[in-house]
Amino acid sequence: MRIFPGGKTLKEAIRKAESRTAYLCLIPSIIGLVFITYLPLLSVFILGFFKFGKGAPTPVFVGLENYIRLFTSDPYFLDSIRVTVYFSVLAVIGSLIYSLFLAMLLNRKIPARGFFRAVFYLPYVLPAMAVYIGWSWLYESNFGLFNFILSSFGLDKVRFIADSHLVVPSLAVISVWLSGNLIVIFLAGLQNVPRVYHDAAEIDGANGWQRFRHVTIPCMTPIIFYNLLMALITNMQIVIPAIALTNGGPGNASCFLTYLMYRYAFISNQLGYACSISFVFFIIIAVFTAILFATSKSWIFYEGDAN
Amino acid sequence: MKKKRLLALLLCVMMVPCLMAGGSKEAGQAENGRVKIIYSFWGTPDEGAAVQGVADKFNASQDRIDVEIMAIPHDNYITKLNTMATARELPDCGIMSEAAVLQFAENGLLYDVSKMYDAGESKPLESLTFKYQGNPVAYSTANEILLLYYNKDMFDAAGVEYPPVNAEDAWTWDEFVETAKLLTLDARGNNAKSPNFDPNTVVQYGCMVENLTWQLEVWCLSNGSGFYNENGSKVTINDPASMEALQKIADLHLVHHVAPLSAGLTDDGVQRSLIAGTCAMTTNGQWNIGTCLASARDEGLNYGVAVLPYMKEVVTINTGGPNVVFSQTKHAAEAMEWIKWYSREENSWGLIETGIWMPILEKWYTDEEFTRKWAGNPNFPPYDEYKSAVVDFAVDYARPASWYYVNNTVDFNALLGSLLGEVWTGNKTAKEAITGSYDALVAAYNGNG
Repeated sequence: MRIFPGGKTLKEAIRKAESRTAYLCLIPSIIGLVFITYLPLLSVFILGFFKFGKGAPTPVFVGLENYIRLFTSDPYFLDSIRVTVYFSVLAVIGSLIYSLFLAMLLNRKIPARGFFRAVFYLPYVLPAMAVYIGWSWLYESNFGLFNFILSSFGLDKVRFIADSHLVVPSLAVISVWLSGNLIVIFLAGLQNVPRVYHDAAEIDGANGWQRFRHVTIPCMTPIIFYNLLMALITNMQIVIPAIALTNGGPGNASCFLTYLMYRYAFISNQLGYACSISFVFFIIIAVFTAILFATSKSWIFYEGDAN
Repeated sequence: MKKKRLLALLLCVMMVPCLMAGGSKEAGQAENGRVKIIYSFWGTPDEGAAVQGVADKFNASQDRIDVEIMAIPHDNYITKLNTMATARELPDCGIMSEAAVLQFAENGLLYDVSKMYDAGESKPLESLTFKYQGNPVAYSTANEILLLYYNKDMFDAAGVEYPPVNAEDAWTWDEFVETAKLLTLDARGNNAKSPNFDPNTVVQYGCMVENLTWQLEVWCLSNGSGFYNENGSKVTINDPASMEALQKIADLHLVHHVAPLSAGLTDDGVQRSLIAGTCAMTTNGQWNIGTCLASARDEGLNYGVAVLPYMKEVVTINTGGPNVVFSQTKHAAEAMEWIKWYSREENSWGLIETGIWMPILEKWYTDEEFTRKWAGNPNFPPYDEYKSAVVDFAVDYARPASWYYVNNTVDFNALLGSLLGEVWTGNKTAKEAITGSYDALVAAYNGNG
């Protein structure tokens, strides 16, 4: 066996050279990750222990005070967690059902299929601010289109986003309507469900529902999982309607965590405190994601998987 | 060994952007014997360039001071200033939001501007002075007051007399509500006084009193109380008179059915009411004359201006964003000179002429010649109407909004606005909402909210 300088074998030397190249190629993305993700994350975590901004032009270390205030005396925070989770549950479940249903319709051989696919994808590419302002006119409590229709049938007006009980469901409907990207991913998934399974089930006498339940759904579970995860993360971070339409109100009914963070940081100028919210929020999303991953093994079916 | 070297190399590469970001320049150095001062401004680089154009005129007008504009995006403005303050790199002077003035003053970052105007000069109106512990720390660059706007065609159609333009004749609250009833019409044309009136099919409301939180202060003052006591040392929003005033606003919709439901969350009240043609009267700031009503009039809206109705005292509130001199500056006198020059009406004439800003110096209000120059143009409602309902009203009845002398109004107003959300829809009374969270409101006022 030939020994290379440093007492290494050929194999070791090649590995060394390869790993050096790998490190070199990784440098740009490592720099990006470190500066754009890890360092900010670390500084958010550290700043969460400081009072900085209003009342403290230079950062003052306050230990756990920010976190204690969050969970004991903050008039918004607990409501904020509640409405964020409530909104996410409604919006995620709603958009998964809506987009799977639409994807199945759009997967059939219907006339003008391309047109309809474009129509349902369109909301996703519209500017979000314009979408929310447009919807706010539909929802308007006094003269909005929905109320005009209701009152022309002699029904009482509904307050939609002006009512603290209805604002979250109303905003969740918009979020569902906006979920065109999920439809596209579901469509791609549906086209990969092997035709042969459907044929076999059909020969066995399975009806449409049974085929959906026992063939389509199991084959789609990896896609459903991906969409579920993406929809959860996106909807947890909801902020635009709170900024554009509701200012977190009425009451605290739409004071989503991201909005609360924004308000403390950039309107109230309490940067340290906002960082502590941000960190708690990070933990909450991490916990939800971990739960999803932990349960995923029991319900996701991978083709070729022995289980 | 090699691993360590690689790591060191990696760290060196990572440090480059840090070093590049850390470069700073020294502000305030003298150039050609002239003092250089930096004025921070919120806006895009293009807007910054426009302000630099004005500054260049100032630079050319004398040979001692050079003003350079630093444009900072609006959303990050306060955050950025805060960071600069920490690094002791604040500009010499800059524009500031109303609500942040007292916060910066309390942090010791603002310079006392009491010497900006000499004894003999025309000064800004007294109500336009931001005060911290009794000392002036800034003057507004513009003036704005709240007033009543109305649609003359709707009044004519209902055969109702126009609202008063003289503060001495201002409507009482009950007169205001009664008039609003005559102007509220359902789908069959019944007004709110008719026994056949159906509140569920209203096609035109009599009024919409703007319920953005900061504007609500005027009604608490009008009812003899306020958000705070007179010198701002105590929260009085839980006074029965304050809570009654807020309830009266909510009752316009809930009890009298003369106003649409408004959640007080978006700043487009005039557009939603008067311009959309859904309400006969609305209250809001003077700036609307320039920002939206002039163009609405071109499209056929026949509107007029009047003084606010009152509960116990005739009053309006005024506000206006200021320019400040930062205490870290080494050139306070020069900075004040620039701000004083920059705040002159001539330099903001475009905004004043179109009705967006009102002047700040007293002479524009008290000297008829100046007043005519300002308001005697077609962008404004008829001169006599405007002179009485806006100019005189501003001089004789305007009191400064509380952020001129109270800190933490941002947090206080945010919390109050959130509490009142349940009051507008009738889920809670004003009394329940406020007394239930009074401690939290006081905490917000004290800076712990």
